[in-house]
Amino acid sequence: MRFITMDVKKCVVCRNCEYACAFRQSGNFRREDSNIRVEYHNDVKICLPQTCLHCEDAWCLEICPAAAIVKDEDTGAIEIVSERCIGCKMCMLACPFGNIHFDKINMVSRKCNLCKGDPNCVAHCISGALQYTTVQDSCLNNREIFHRFIESILDINTE
Amino acid sequence: MKIVIIGNSAAGLSGLEAFRKQDQNSSVTVITCEETTPYSRVMLPYYLREKVSYKDMFIRDDHYYERLNAKCIKGKVVNLLVKERHVVLENGQIISYDKLLIATGSSPIRPPINGLEGEGIHHLWTLDDVRRLAPAFLRGKRVAVLGSGFVSLQGAWAALVKGLDVAVIEIMDRIMPRALDARGAELLALKIREKGADLRVGTFTKEVTRTGFGEYVLHFDDGSTLVVDLIIVGTGVRPNIDFLKNSDIVVQQGIVVNERMETSLPGIYAAGDVAMVPSFLDGRPVVHALWPTAIETGTVAGNCMASQGDVYLGSLNMNVTQMFDVTVASMGEFLDGADREVWVDERLAENQYLKIVLKEGVPIGAVAVGESELVATLGMLRPLIRQKIRINGTPRNLKAIMAQNISRHHKAFSG
Repeated sequence: MRFITMDVKKCVVCRNCEYACAFRQSGNFRREDSNIRVEYHNDVKICLPQTCLHCEDAWCLEICPAAAIVKDEDTGAIEIVSERCIGCKMCMLACPFGNIHFDKINMVSRKCNLCKGDPNCVAHCISGALQYTTVQDSCLNNREIFHRFIESILDINTE
Repeated sequence: MKIVIIGNSAAGLSGLEAFRKQDQNSSVTVITCEETTPYSRVMLPYYLREKVSYKDMFIRDDHYYERLNAKCIKGKVVNLLVKERHVVLENGQIISYDKLLIATGSSPIRPPINGLEGEGIHHLWTLDDVRRLAPAFLRGKRVAVLGSGFVSLQGAWAALVKGLDVAVIEIMDRIMPRALDARGAELLALKIREKGADLRVGTFTKEVTRTGFGEYVLHFDDGSTLVVDLIIVGTGVRPNIDFLKNSDIVVQQGIVVNERMETSLPGIYAAGDVAMVPSFLDGRPVVHALWPTAIETGTVAGNCMASQGDVYLGSLNMNVTQMFDVTVASMGEFLDGADREVWVDERLAENQYLKIVLKEGVPIGAVAVGESELVATLGMLRPLIRQKIRINGTPRNLKAIMAQNISRHHKAFSG
């Protein structure tokens, strides 16, 4: 099972991910059509790319009164079946991350579905801030970072 | 162990699913007086305005009970024999239980107005109601909607979309007294009137009479009258507890339960609209009669019937919908008060409204009327209410406050 990781230190707010997602969703480049949103916090100079985290116990899924939210067992994605969605916005109120958006043309909620296992936002990220990775790889990466950190300390000590 | 669940809507289904996650062996029987597979009450008005088809309203498939290894019995429960641990159905059938979940929901109240009866009087609460109402929902027909809660207004909106002549009659001096504050109600009322409905607040219906053509005449307290073809009554609901009259289960506005959804009788649980559960904000027992609360309390009941491992943090009311081309949402305590601080986002356009209510720096509720994205803000605020997080700053840095607290969110799901 893979998931999208976001490294806020690498994000440069180019918004390529937003355009890539919008294009995949609707065939145009309107940023409001994107399911990933990059929030830039000017005061602290931090940018937060945000998209659905595909929670293990997804409250949006449990609460949906139209049974329109399902889990794709192959990708692990929590998906909105737009044909079933009634546009009541209960999922938007349930999501504690603000990661569900509204499609004003079709009057349904919409969110990331991991592009069925090939996320367009990750493919077009220019800085490597977004990765589509497995838990094992992500942990391995963390171990390598930790290992380099330890090495750097040991280097200092041996000098 | 023999488990019996009465009711197959939000609370009953959540209870069954939560129970089965923990216990695959006990026998489970679900008793329902509905003829069909489970459907969603929330979707009824969407069906009326043809946003969804009839079959879309069903939220579980035909093999649902089979898959969950549960038996479904269609019938009406008329009595509960606590000592014998028996549930008695209308046809005389007796079903015994070791643990019982009462998820019988609620039914619409019909206000005591003379003449409010006959085939033209409708509710908007069950599948049967909309089956009866849909054929009467014809362009050019005149409908009066009594009450202005979420269900009533959804019905009124569906009628407008279908081309009916719509009047909404509210006895209070503003609409949605339980789900919006005064400013929010004012903004929505503007929209309702702009869309062409005849909205009358502060209007008391004294009597209803019939004309020779079968039309209904509403007589109001100011002496005026209104002639319509049908009336939708949406003036609140009451819990379905008639079958409990011979038991000494403790009932106030609903069946009183503790934070594990246990009633006053051992082995008997209640959840959903029928239960009076602790409120999240002040711990006082309340009946919110809301879909999310039914899901949450049903889940807690199911978990507690399987083991004792779940505790409900209390019901936090939340409401959201889109109607009359505007998004309306609220949660928690959203009314102003002497001990409360109020944040209104002044940067929004004039027809947009976002208000957050705080008590000693901790958010306790919010209202939003306007664009959809305001709902996402309310969603992000909800964990802060649930975890009683004090926030510092001003409404202007709400975005930063939300971002700071994002790592806390994962702990703040339901329950």
